[in-house]
Amino acid sequence: MTMRWRSVALLLALLLLPAGYAIAEEPPSLAADVAANKLPPLAKRLPRTPLVVTVDREDWTTGRYGGELHMLMAKDRDIRMMVVYGYARLVGYDERLQLAPDILQSLDNVGNRVFTLHLRPGHRWSDGQPFTSEDFRYFWEDVANNKELSPFGLPRALLVDNHGPTFEVLDATTVRYTWDEPNPQFLAALAGPSPLFIYRPAHYLRQFHARYVGLAKANARAVAEGSRDWAGLYQKMDEQFRFDNPALPTLEPWINTTPLPTTRFVLVRNPYFHRIDANGRQLPYIDRVIVNITDDKLIPARAGAGNVDLQTRYLRFDNYTFLKQGEQRNHYRVYLWEKAIGSQVALYPNLNVEDRTWQKLMRDVRFRRALSLGVDRHEVNEVVYFGLGKESANTILPRSPLFRPEFRTAWAAFDVKRANALLDAIGLTKRNEDGIRLLPDGRPMNLIVDTSGESTEETDVLELVRGTWHELGIAMFPRPSQREVFRKRVFSGKSMMSVWSGLSNGIPTPDMSPGELAPTTQEQLQWPMWGQYYELNHKGGEAPALPDVQELARLFQQWRTATTTEVRTQAWQRMLEIHADEVYTIGIVTHALQPVVVRNSLRNVPADGVYSWDPGAYFGMYHPDTFWFDAGERR
Amino acid sequence: MLQYVVKRVLMMIPTLIAVSVIVFTIIQLPPGNYLESYIAELEAQGETVDQQKVAFLRDYYGLDKPLPEQYLRWAGGMLKGDFGYSFEFNMPVTRVIGDRMLLTMIVSMVTILFTWCVAFPIGIYSATHQYSWGDYGLSLLGFLGIAIPNFMLALVMMYVANVVFGTTIGGLMAPEYIGAPWTWDKIKSVLEHSWIPVIVIGTSGTAGMIRRLRANLLDELQKQYVVTARAKGLPPRKVLRKYPLRMALNFFISDIGSLLPHIISGAEITAVVLSLPTTGPMLLNALKSQDMYLAGSFLMFLALLIVVGVLVSDLALVALDPRIRLSGGVAR
Repeated sequence: MTMRWRSVALLLALLLLPAGYAIAEEPPSLAADVAANKLPPLAKRLPRTPLVVTVDREDWTTGRYGGELHMLMAKDRDIRMMVVYGYARLVGYDERLQLAPDILQSLDNVGNRVFTLHLRPGHRWSDGQPFTSEDFRYFWEDVANNKELSPFGLPRALLVDNHGPTFEVLDATTVRYTWDEPNPQFLAALAGPSPLFIYRPAHYLRQFHARYVGLAKANARAVAEGSRDWAGLYQKMDEQFRFDNPALPTLEPWINTTPLPTTRFVLVRNPYFHRIDANGRQLPYIDRVIVNITDDKLIPARAGAGNVDLQTRYLRFDNYTFLKQGEQRNHYRVYLWEKAIGSQVALYPNLNVEDRTWQKLMRDVRFRRALSLGVDRHEVNEVVYFGLGKESANTILPRSPLFRPEFRTAWAAFDVKRANALLDAIGLTKRNEDGIRLLPDGRPMNLIVDTSGESTEETDVLELVRGTWHELGIAMFPRPSQREVFRKRVFSGKSMMSVWSGLSNGIPTPDMSPGELAPTTQEQLQWPMWGQYYELNHKGGEAPALPDVQELARLFQQWRTATTTEVRTQAWQRMLEIHADEVYTIGIVTHALQPVVVRNSLRNVPADGVYSWDPGAYFGMYHPDTFWFDAGERR
Repeated sequence: MLQYVVKRVLMMIPTLIAVSVIVFTIIQLPPGNYLESYIAELEAQGETVDQQKVAFLRDYYGLDKPLPEQYLRWAGGMLKGDFGYSFEFNMPVTRVIGDRMLLTMIVSMVTILFTWCVAFPIGIYSATHQYSWGDYGLSLLGFLGIAIPNFMLALVMMYVANVVFGTTIGGLMAPEYIGAPWTWDKIKSVLEHSWIPVIVIGTSGTAGMIRRLRANLLDELQKQYVVTARAKGLPPRKVLRKYPLRMALNFFISDIGSLLPHIISGAEITAVVLSLPTTGPMLLNALKSQDMYLAGSFLMFLALLIVVGVLVSDLALVALDPRIRLSGGVAR
């Protein structure tokens, strides 16, 4: 029903608009410039078919212009978050995690192999220059395939089995990428919070490029500006994601006007932004965004003092009660959004641990199941998370269409008896005088769990787990270290088990990559060497020894080469089943919450949102360009 | 005299080399490097990092080179006036520090002036009225100033201002002037905003100075020449001004050595709490994120100021106090 209404609204908009939609008033902050002829009128600034944004949510309304949005960040380079929040992408996720064209007018996708991108005719960069297929050609020929600018070759999302696409410019607003094999990562990469930028403001960047101004001149300029060579200066100027070059034209809703270093960034509306609301008014509603830089530890205090209009970053769940206190006095609300991670805290048995005896145990599914059964998740939830979490294995969240309840409950009930029976069945029957089981080689089972030593939350959870594992006859010792040391220990197989957060994308759709579930990179704490094997194309690491892990790798390949969503769904489901049953990681509590501070007068911020980096780009998928200030309510 | 100065200046060279080695080593001591702490920080926020980009940066910044080579590159660059490149800001160190340096110097100078203006009269009063109610009262205040950590005072003031007056402290100027070119209005705005940090940072310095002035002056006031001067019938104020006060000021001049670096890096923590756009928080962040050239060049600059400051204060002492000689072994 809702989907249909949305499509109807879109369709109506598409039908009405090109014919000459009612041109709404100029945004008041731009009216003076337009009157003074410094800026062309709205109709000339918008693409011929702008994107009409309607969000299908109960409390969502079209808004009014004006206001300044204040936010806090901890470091100058956090200004990149405005590219994340702004979320103008070639294609982007909506609230239902469906991919839809955004900057693109439309997209033809043939079997995930041939992508034809149609730009919006008349679309302009924030400096008023046209945005055309030339900007794509420039990136492809002069950046991605330039040895000096891209010494490590094409971006990974453009590679399938180390082969890049063929790129064609069809006309001024159409480009095509063709791969020999399907490349399902391509669209997801374009829609990412830190997206794959396959276009560049060519008209601006040419002035730094050796091919266009000559090597000697480009180098001379670079040296004068304090860089080593032209490539260095070029990289510095061409940072669409870092957002630290105010001169670099952008397609985002707000333009950064402040160079680094500063303590206060001022962002102003992009007069050429391509989205409008249903009344034909150009977005964003809010004229300016002010980002103040302050110490990260002060951000909760300053948010509680009412110094922000919208804030999530650097707020943590344990600030919640403090933030709640200030609600009345300082006129804001605190929402709790669900984080999209699979598990707030998860244990990762290292299947690549060096120690042979332990390695054998870790690779034994009965052992992993016993460990999982030996965790009293309810107790952890009550003690550490005030009962607000949900006891769960490390798996995806109910918001995902792929979710099934049994993924959450598999081997996740607290059952000491069954766990002990499993351990006995492995043959670990001998115990020492303290009741600790003995390993086959006679050593007591002292299980050391590495932590990165950053949060007391992890140690609190481990302390509780340690208590119940003792009932299994396993002595567990947390070993806090430092993050780099922690990673090196895990990667080299020195660590037996580590603790980290769970799946980073807990809300996948079948079209998103299940790479996290298969061995794909060394970063995977449960099988770093197997992951490295695939990361380095079988040239390093170790081939996985367990048949189920091999199957995961095969399923991932199946997902990558699949041409239909059904096949991808099957691959996903099978991978999730294997994970639930094989317990490669031990999730503890999920439904982690993120406080969001919102000014009372700020409208259109959902009360119940998902806080997710990818997919979602934090606020991005909720359209901050449609957030607006209600003048009736004073801040 | 000239010979002495030349000798001292030559001595500075090995000192600074040693300092640079130590600074570089200490910055490199924590495991990892800038890129790794950068990645770690991103991951802590749930973000992911493009490994290819990291590989490019590692190569570009030369982070995979052996440490001695990195050191030589940095130290050699400094000789030529090139203080290296800040990874965090993606620009040369000198440009990062630029504007902040000026603001820091303004705040520090005003603070120092404030300290002197308050501490001088009080110090003299406490010494001349030793063990009086006034002495006790002011000393108590002074000790409170020393005992309360600056950042604490800053937090309390922020809280009170927010809850009672509904205003926010922090920043050094009205928001609209941040990043704007320097005009009279901007200077006025800075002066309007700087009194709070000046008081917060100044309190502990003031207290310290009161105590030192009091102690030095008390020493002198006991001496026979003071008694003689009084006996001769000089007016008490003149006695004080002409002899013991001048004697008691030696510490004041030798303080210059530590004062100079203070001007550019005073009160880091307070500056962080009040979010002042000064160099303190920048140095702290650079150290935290292992932005080694920014941190290193900054620390080297501080070291240089200390060395120069000590020399200047030594020379000034010689000029002002005839009892001090440049050489000559054991004088007494």
